[in-house]
Amino acid sequence: MDSLILEISARGLDRYEPVKFGTTTIGRALDNDIILSDPTVAPHHLQIVQHSDQSIELTNLAEINPTQVDRQPIDTSVIGTLPVTIEIGRVQLRLLARDHAVAATRPLAASRSNRHPFGHAYWALILVLICLLVSGTDFFLNSYNTFKWSDLLKYLLRETILTIGGFVLALSILERLLVNRWEIRQMLTSVCLIYLLFTAAMFLANNLDYLLSASWPSTLLHFGWYLLIVPGAITLYLVHISHLPRNRSLMLALLIASPIAMPSILQSSQMQLLLDNFSPAAKYHSNLSYMNWHLRKRVDIDSFIEQARQLEAGEAAD
Amino acid sequence: MRQGLFAVFLLALFAIAAPAAALDSKEIYQLNQDRVVQVRVLNRETGKKSSIGSGFIVGDGRQIATNYHVISQIVLEPELFYISYISNDGTEGELTLAALDVAHDLALLSAEQTLGDAIQMSPLPPRGAPIFAMGNPLDLGLSIAVGTNGGILNQTDDSRILFSGSLNPGMSGGPTFNEFGAAIGINVATARNDISFIVPSRFLTELIERSTAERYADNVDLKAEVARQVIAYENRYIEQLLASDWQELNLRQFQLPGVISPTVRCWDNSAKLNAVARYKRYQIRCANQNHVYLDADNHFVGRLSYEYYWLESDELNPVQFYNLYESLNKDQIETKPGREIVSNFNCETWFIEVSTQEMKSNLCRREYLDYPGMSDVLFTAALTGHADRGFFMTLIMTGVDFDSALPLIQKFLEETEWTP
Repeated sequence: MDSLILEISARGLDRYEPVKFGTTTIGRALDNDIILSDPTVAPHHLQIVQHSDQSIELTNLAEINPTQVDRQPIDTSVIGTLPVTIEIGRVQLRLLARDHAVAATRPLAASRSNRHPFGHAYWALILVLICLLVSGTDFFLNSYNTFKWSDLLKYLLRETILTIGGFVLALSILERLLVNRWEIRQMLTSVCLIYLLFTAAMFLANNLDYLLSASWPSTLLHFGWYLLIVPGAITLYLVHISHLPRNRSLMLALLIASPIAMPSILQSSQMQLLLDNFSPAAKYHSNLSYMNWHLRKRVDIDSFIEQARQLEAGEAAD
Repeated sequence: MRQGLFAVFLLALFAIAAPAAALDSKEIYQLNQDRVVQVRVLNRETGKKSSIGSGFIVGDGRQIATNYHVISQIVLEPELFYISYISNDGTEGELTLAALDVAHDLALLSAEQTLGDAIQMSPLPPRGAPIFAMGNPLDLGLSIAVGTNGGILNQTDDSRILFSGSLNPGMSGGPTFNEFGAAIGINVATARNDISFIVPSRFLTELIERSTAERYADNVDLKAEVARQVIAYENRYIEQLLASDWQELNLRQFQLPGVISPTVRCWDNSAKLNAVARYKRYQIRCANQNHVYLDADNHFVGRLSYEYYWLESDELNPVQFYNLYESLNKDQIETKPGREIVSNFNCETWFIEVSTQEMKSNLCRREYLDYPGMSDVLFTAALTGHADRGFFMTLIMTGVDFDSALPLIQKFLEETEWTP
């Protein structure tokens, strides 16, 4: 039985080929033992020889893009310990012993208990209904004219259904390209959870703004949401649902989150002020709250005037 | 013989006692055409006109009176621009800036040589009397416009006469004459449709009297001088406001300062709501009319405006009401000067007790970068603690000394009363 396995990584997917005892050739030509179709691989690129004394000898056969072992180009190299990383062209290989340990099996989301949000299909449906309820409530609480069902339905369609649906579709297509699977139900659950989390966080931040008579809570949320929470949520999804490695998941998450995050951050009033350093408008705390919970003490008019004397003008722009 | 002498005596007495004959526009034009000039601000680099207006000979015959706004670019860039005049007969010469009265938009310029006979000043004739404005409209040549005296406008702090004639751009700084050819004012602005404004000549007389030098010294910071004059005027104005009795107005449960000065006008500004609105709102807006021209970039300062906004609903729940209330809490100063003119605003928040009610208040301040001591102030106050009613008050002052503005804000708050 072949004692060596060659792990071949290409386009995010790994495949495994046994390396037979004796001589194994690798290259793009069809007369090789292991054929790699990448154009940066030479027709005959690498030769692996397993000797009877268990030593393993690698020989580079390519003039263009010579073989590298652990990032060092080689002509001939005798391998000491496994695993060893080999690069031929842009294809990354790892030479593994057959008894090389594999990562633990990760359960599919669908096999989790029915109480898990990613378990049963009805969770996605429940979450969609909750999102519609929350969105509808938001519409209701911001309606100051006579209520009309047609207005509510238009709002739900525009702000909730199309938005969530659009994100689900786009991210699902991306996932299909990455891992060759459709996970519509899990994606729907994830997007709904993120939507609900965002709504709750905004509510909390606005009330914190009023409590503290400050704007940093909502500013912190705004930046934190797009720079940390969205990439973090996408990373968690890719690791636990798509079962991608952590590092790759993080990189993909940043890649996916950037086109969402950057326009929102750049267009925010806080970033505009940072970039532009000047605003002709007065940025005062205009938020009002029915509960009227605030930590600032109430002052009388005389005390206000006395404190107001200390107010300096703002900074000039650069 | 004695009878002849007596007749001559009577004739002489009559000649002295009889009033001068009124002149028509043609005669006034001919009388003064050599004493009214075009005033120009020219760019030293290009040699071309940057702004034009009119002026007229006053004082000792070497002085030209005009509007400050005609020559204000000298204040902004004294090295780049210079002032010159051109007479009706084509004579040209350079002028230097001798004195300014920024608050009344006047400037006194000096020539090196005598330019002619000075025009005499005269008080305002009775309302309805014909008056004649001369100047250089649209760079088309010297012209005269006929109208009537509409009286001094007290909403302009008595610094403007209403002229029912047609002033055009280019006539600013030119004289307005009475029927006898004496100047009763200086052309300053138009609102089109035969509504124009004149500065009463007494302000020019005062400026001539207190002008002590032929020109500002080269090391004088003109912007600082402009700032000093504007702030002094605004401080006097605020002192007058604080000393006067304010009219009150009622807006639902509030009794508020209404018209606080003859310079202020208030009007209803309530938006028309559509039939499906489930709330009511009422708005009153008050503003003064005696703005001060600052310079070619900033246009006008000295604005005082205050606005009251009442909101109520017995159909909206508290959360809905406060969402609506918050969405309306966004007043700003309407003018938007650029970064090279003003600093950013700095704002602070207080919760102030006003007549047993709590108001969430914001005070914002920014300063003018080139005019030391001059600030724009924005004060807002919003009623808190009521589930179904709300109230905003906004007070805006531009081009003021910040410390002088605070007593005015204080009085506004003290004169605000809540009726349960």
